[in-house]
Amino acid sequence: MQDESGTGWKSKALKWFDDLRQRENQLTYVLSLVLGGLVGLVVVAFILLTGRLAARMYPAGGSGWRRILVPTFGSLGTGYLLYRYFPYARGSGIPQTKFALFVTDGYIRFRTVLGKFFCCSASLATGIALGREGPSVQVGAGLASVIARRLGLSKEQVRSLVPVGCSAALAAAFNTPIAAVLFSLEEIVGDLNAPVLGSVVLASATSWMVLHLVLGDDPLFHVSGYQLVHPVEFGIYAALGVVGGLGSVCFVKLLLGIRARFLRFPKWTVWFQPVAGGLGVGILGYFVPEVLGVGYDVVERALHGNLVVQLLVILAVLKIIATALCYGSGNAGGIFGPSLFIGAMIGGAVGSVAHALFPAYTAEPGAYALVGMGTAFAGIVRTPMTSVIMIFEVTRDYTIIVPLMISNMIAFFISYKLQKEPIYDALAHQDGVHLPSAQSRSTFGKIRVDQAMRPAPVVFPPDAEIAAAAEEMRHLKLSAAPVADGGGLWGMITRAKLEGAIARGLADKKLADILGESPGRHLPTAVEFPHVHPDQPLSPALTRMGAAGLDMLPVVSRGNLRELIGVVTLDNILHAYGIARPAEPEN
Amino acid sequence: MSEPARSPANPSLLGTFALVFVSAAGLFVIDTFLARMEHAESQAQAARLLAEGQRLAKDGRFLEGIERFRAALAAAPGDMEAQLALAQGLLAANKLTDAKTLLTEMLARDPTDGMINFLMARVLAKEGRTAEAITYYHTAIYGRWPKDTTANRVSVRFELIDLLVKNDSKRELLAELLPLQDEAPPDIQTRMRIARLFILSGSPARAAEIFRQILRQDPQNADACAGLAEAQFAGRDFRSAQAEFSLAARLKPDNAQIQKRLDLTNEILALDPTRRGIRASERYRRSAKLVELALEDLNRCAGPTPPEAIRTVTAEASGALKSRVRAGRESEAADDDLELAEQLRQARKKFCHEPTPASAEALALVLDKLAQ
Repeated sequence: MQDESGTGWKSKALKWFDDLRQRENQLTYVLSLVLGGLVGLVVVAFILLTGRLAARMYPAGGSGWRRILVPTFGSLGTGYLLYRYFPYARGSGIPQTKFALFVTDGYIRFRTVLGKFFCCSASLATGIALGREGPSVQVGAGLASVIARRLGLSKEQVRSLVPVGCSAALAAAFNTPIAAVLFSLEEIVGDLNAPVLGSVVLASATSWMVLHLVLGDDPLFHVSGYQLVHPVEFGIYAALGVVGGLGSVCFVKLLLGIRARFLRFPKWTVWFQPVAGGLGVGILGYFVPEVLGVGYDVVERALHGNLVVQLLVILAVLKIIATALCYGSGNAGGIFGPSLFIGAMIGGAVGSVAHALFPAYTAEPGAYALVGMGTAFAGIVRTPMTSVIMIFEVTRDYTIIVPLMISNMIAFFISYKLQKEPIYDALAHQDGVHLPSAQSRSTFGKIRVDQAMRPAPVVFPPDAEIAAAAEEMRHLKLSAAPVADGGGLWGMITRAKLEGAIARGLADKKLADILGESPGRHLPTAVEFPHVHPDQPLSPALTRMGAAGLDMLPVVSRGNLRELIGVVTLDNILHAYGIARPAEPEN
Repeated sequence: MSEPARSPANPSLLGTFALVFVSAAGLFVIDTFLARMEHAESQAQAARLLAEGQRLAKDGRFLEGIERFRAALAAAPGDMEAQLALAQGLLAANKLTDAKTLLTEMLARDPTDGMINFLMARVLAKEGRTAEAITYYHTAIYGRWPKDTTANRVSVRFELIDLLVKNDSKRELLAELLPLQDEAPPDIQTRMRIARLFILSGSPARAAEIFRQILRQDPQNADACAGLAEAQFAGRDFRSAQAEFSLAARLKPDNAQIQKRLDLTNEILALDPTRRGIRASERYRRSAKLVELALEDLNRCAGPTPPEAIRTVTAEASGALKSRVRAGRESEAADDDLELAEQLRQARKKFCHEPTPASAEALALVLDKLAQ
């Protein structure tokens, strides 16, 4: 009896799961909730474990030598583990996640997730000057990938769940659910209008709730309510944008340069290369302990204006060196956190100088440290939208947003001009992987039909003779042409259709006879009447050409589908992308 | 970076979901355990840093103390005790802007907290923003104190009173002293302190009453006796003051201050021409002495080239001092001299801005009394 009921319950559950699997949308939302909760719990565990380990590595009143020995031996240990067992868990995790998303259909191994979790936790606890957010993203994406695969989902479904895991991880790691959504779409997917938006939001919110459930409602940074004191400050924030942008470029170039050098060393050295980072940061940390680890406590001090300008400058420079060395040598950890650290120090330094020179016209240095965080993030990671929202979420204060936007955009522009390739794409390039950059992805969608279209070379009236029309098309080397009269566009006629009609003995008939009904009877669909509008991207034009078997489409007004504006051909589209096609040979 | 893709294993829906939920439950337990551990360790660290900071602040090493308080706050964000200690440290180190920023944030969260308002009042008082400081002192007095409410309120009111004394705001001072009389603990020291403050507020009769009450309880209390003398002195009752100062001097013979005040009172009484029971000739002698002392004082502070108005009045006074007074005319001459002494006092007030020297204190007090 028990067995029967047990079997019944099991079969019902299996049926429900099976039904769920068939209903793709529902399954995605259910999985987004489940993943949001699970990833949130994993990331909270990651944060807490790292913190507790760090507290044991550096007990209060510990010897200064500990600051050299712990990161050195820590990086040796994690370096060996990464080399021997978790080769895909090195570095930040964001390029690896993008690689999985764009190249391997969202495939991330569970072993990589485990390796990232434990190696990174140990690495950060020993004082390696890297961040926890990038690794969290890879852990989140990896968990999404593993679960989706275990559920037997399609490759497309697995891919679509990767950004869901990313946003859940970032929401918990940084306590910024909106920025997590934006980052997943802006940086990972590269499309703010991606269809996964709903799932990403759901997972981010769930993960954030889990974080609050376990750790309470405590913001990552406690910031005073800074305000714009005087309009002259806009100029200083713009200057901060310039300094932050230049600082970002220095950091990115140094990191890529150091990493390129390490990549040139023999392969057998890979397992102990991280020691260079550990020893380097240890030596710096011996003299300036603030350089060690993630350093959010130091950021907090800068945000409260509790650091003198000399120390701020020293910390900005040393953190750039330490992070570049740690990352370049192959330690596990991200650059998300160090970007904020560097930005806070640069901002604090600029703010301290400005406040010393113009005390009546400027806010406290902490306000500049705050804006500096977003500025460096925009300059290094190149996600300006995320950086603005992130600072807003971190501070929960709206008043600083306008200066932040100004500063961010200047830093973003400088970084874009001086370092063409964004850091995550450049890191992937160094590994021999060519990820589609956000720019290339957006450029494809950004070229519009009106940038490629031309006036129609010929427009036949419906009463034109079929033979004459065929002759003219042959003469103009056209495979299709529009047919229109005073009432508007009738449709497109192809040379093949005309030649077929001539073969059937209809050469002296009119075009109207073979085109079908006249315009104005009903509004045709894009399938019945293949066409495009001037403001559409070129991708639907290509799709419709393929579906209709035409290499020319009429471009018509959105207000009146019978109003012909021009035509777009396959050659026009290729030309718009800078590809010249050889001329068609004469028949 | 390139991770090789593999074909998915046999999917098991129920098993996967069960595994996910079991993992989530396990993770929740681990997270809760770690969070509690972190909380406990952070609290312990914050408490250690707070104690260290308080020890440093006690030794006058405020900047080091502030560092510890900040570290304590970083370990346990939002810890009220650490925040208050930091605010006090900043105040002591004269970092008024930082203290104000911190206190403003704290007040935004809890605007009725007595201690926060009290510290804010201290910051503003240090900045010289007395009116605003008084408002915060009042909010502190009527605010919420988790422990020792009455004692804290009395302490804050005393500090407010000190500020009012410093600013010579007698009316406000009296307004604070009246409720304090009821709130303050009934010990002799506090009552004597209140009585002395009543003298400063221009209410010597209230002060004298309190001192008398104390003396009824403890007749040998020299300080109360001297206090009563001071109250009588402030009320221009120099004869009573002399008697009380004499008694106080007998009770505390080594107290130089009491002796000094007794000498001054004796000097005043020796100069006072309005003292009852003296003869006309003595009255005249005293009034002439007043003119002589007032002239000396005016000449000393007016310098070698006095203005015309001073020259006129000093010439008149010199003439009066040289003239002889016939018998029977002493009373009229004494009145003339007192009028002249008043003119000299007015001239000094108008043209000399030096404070009255100690040697002329008795003269000034007698002239003030006569002017009243």
